[in-house]
Amino acid sequence: MSFATPPKLSRAQVAEFQKEVDAIRNEAMSRVGQADVDHMRRMIHICRGSEVAGRALLHFGVGPLSWAAGVMALANAKILDNMEIGHNVMHGQYDWTGDPALNSQSFEWDIACDGEAWRHSHNVVHHTYTNILGKDRDLGYSLLRLTDEQRWKPRHWLQPFANLGLALGFQYGIGSHDLELGRYKHGAISREVFKPRLDAFLGKIKRQWLKDYLLFPALAMWSAPRVLAGNFAANLTRNLWTYTVIFCGHFTEGVAIYREEDTRNETRGDWYIRQITGSSNLEGGRLFHIMTGHLSHQIEHHLFPDMPSHRYVEVAPKIQALCQRYGLHYNTGSLFSQFATVMKRIFVHTLPPRALSPV
Amino acid sequence: MTVTHNTLKPWPRLASQLVHTLERPWLSAIVRKSAVEDTLNALHPLLSLDTVKARVVHITHESPTVRSFILEPNAHWQGARSGQFVRVQAEINGRRTERAYSLSSRGGAQRLALTIKRKEGGLMSNFMHQQLRVGSVLTVSQAEGEFVLPANEPLPGKILLLSAGSGVSPVMALMRELHEQEYAGDVCFLHVCRDASEQIWVDEMLLIGAQMPGLTVVTHLTATQGRLDAQALLATVPDLAERATWLCGPAAWMDQVHALWAEKGYASTLTSERFGGGPTVPADAGTPVSVVCERSATQFMTEGAQPLLVQAERAGLAPKHGCRIGICRSCQCTKKSGTVENLLTGEISSAPNEEIRLCISTARSDVTLAL
Repeated sequence: MSFATPPKLSRAQVAEFQKEVDAIRNEAMSRVGQADVDHMRRMIHICRGSEVAGRALLHFGVGPLSWAAGVMALANAKILDNMEIGHNVMHGQYDWTGDPALNSQSFEWDIACDGEAWRHSHNVVHHTYTNILGKDRDLGYSLLRLTDEQRWKPRHWLQPFANLGLALGFQYGIGSHDLELGRYKHGAISREVFKPRLDAFLGKIKRQWLKDYLLFPALAMWSAPRVLAGNFAANLTRNLWTYTVIFCGHFTEGVAIYREEDTRNETRGDWYIRQITGSSNLEGGRLFHIMTGHLSHQIEHHLFPDMPSHRYVEVAPKIQALCQRYGLHYNTGSLFSQFATVMKRIFVHTLPPRALSPV
Repeated sequence: MTVTHNTLKPWPRLASQLVHTLERPWLSAIVRKSAVEDTLNALHPLLSLDTVKARVVHITHESPTVRSFILEPNAHWQGARSGQFVRVQAEINGRRTERAYSLSSRGGAQRLALTIKRKEGGLMSNFMHQQLRVGSVLTVSQAEGEFVLPANEPLPGKILLLSAGSGVSPVMALMRELHEQEYAGDVCFLHVCRDASEQIWVDEMLLIGAQMPGLTVVTHLTATQGRLDAQALLATVPDLAERATWLCGPAAWMDQVHALWAEKGYASTLTSERFGGGPTVPADAGTPVSVVCERSATQFMTEGAQPLLVQAERAGLAPKHGCRIGICRSCQCTKKSGTVENLLTGEISSAPNEEIRLCISTARSDVTLAL
């Protein structure tokens, strides 16, 4: 994998492309209204119902079947809360409603990642500098080597294990992401900046653990081990699912990686093209899209991060057709095939680059 | 108006303690305040932790375009003084929309009355006329405003209540208050409207008039008598200089009355109520306007047409920001009032209490920010 070759489009074509994407956006945004807020509130109601059902099954259920059902219901609630609700609300997709419960800047979610830290690492850094090597800190999460352009280091021999660890504890991975631990260790970040970030991270973990691993088990009294194990399993299920979906968003085969110097004088049209070529989609039905928080439409999400996510389904065919006309690669596939390419990239880049063979 | 804990009724006091507890981070990680609020709302639409909700108990058709909505508020309502207004909030096509309306009911009344004229293209007035039924529930603010009678001093001996069009609402509240207090002084109630079909509360005024010997009711119909300008006003109320006056009507007309007061140097008080909700023509891009930042208690003038984020930074403020190109919303803040243009879409908006992104918004009128 090498850096993206700039698309063979003239400046006029890029400007025209920008206009066409804007038109697709404006058309969809002009229809935003009651249906969108109704969708989000329905999701919130399902999420709450699922959490209450899950916790009740874990607390009062008897036997392994009710335990498994409780875990699934609680994991479902956490997945909905993180993916379809939290992630989208925190992008400001529902700020137009004026409902304080749907305000992007004050929303807090059921995960070990502090909302404010997420708004910085994700909304500011990742969505602005998507797939620019050295600027987009989501590229390999400062842990994995995913492209030949990243320098190989001996620690990358352990990359498959690091990847497994990240998948299992994904919530702590994204929770600690904004700490920029590596840069702090090298002195690039002062202690004054680092300390409040660390406090926010630890504070959030404390609150999550208090809830899932102390308070609810304690309330269950003699069922405490059952509840503790159930909460742990639900968090683990959510971690694995979110990891799988999110890794398919930018780490699949064929996504373009950019050099900072190539993006300095970007127009909005260039930015659109970078978002499209740097993201990949997953195919599936309505339920699948909801369970991925519509990150199955990563391309549309990156073009329009503040469009209510359930509308990605209707703009996607228009974007795909547009890409075809302009000769841009629209990266999409099934979850299985996309995830297989992600694994392939992780394993391939575990190995040091081969020295050029002598002629 | 600040309300201390002790003045609250038992349920609001309990609820405010509950809200305080729910806002603690460790508890809000377990149950969000919004979940409690939604549950209460599902149990009964008037139940709330901290919001005044009011149920429509009666709708009176005052004229073809004017209706009065009689509302019964929940326990959070802290009462009003006659002449004050409330901000009514309703969700219209998914958006929380807010408009200020004067109460036409007397301050001490158990039930609130909002008397609202349906405006062509008016979002809230059309919603209220078309969607509200007996039993509907609205969200309202606590009462606000200074358009009231003096509270701790005797009322003036001669009063003029002067209203035009829908400005009659708060003026009628004052009239009802004077009637309730059995005010024995000299009151002139002068109302301006287009023609007799727009006249409302005729029977009630006759009734009040029969019980208040000092009351003179004058109706000025512009269709037959022309506009009520300064001359016409002086001709109708010759002792204008001696009357403490309460005034509410169209802004331009109120400006004329204020000009008359200034020109003649009247010593009597002139109190008026104004709503800035009317459509305003946005200033040209780049016109210097005033920006008030509430939280930092700062005011500055804009220079050039650059976004508010740049303008605020130039004025020495350091608003939170991220991408600076409208993606991340880190710089989002509440615009309390004023007109702004979204530089990405070109959309111009004047809605009060609206979330805007400072990095892609420029001021097109004087603006107040929550910043």
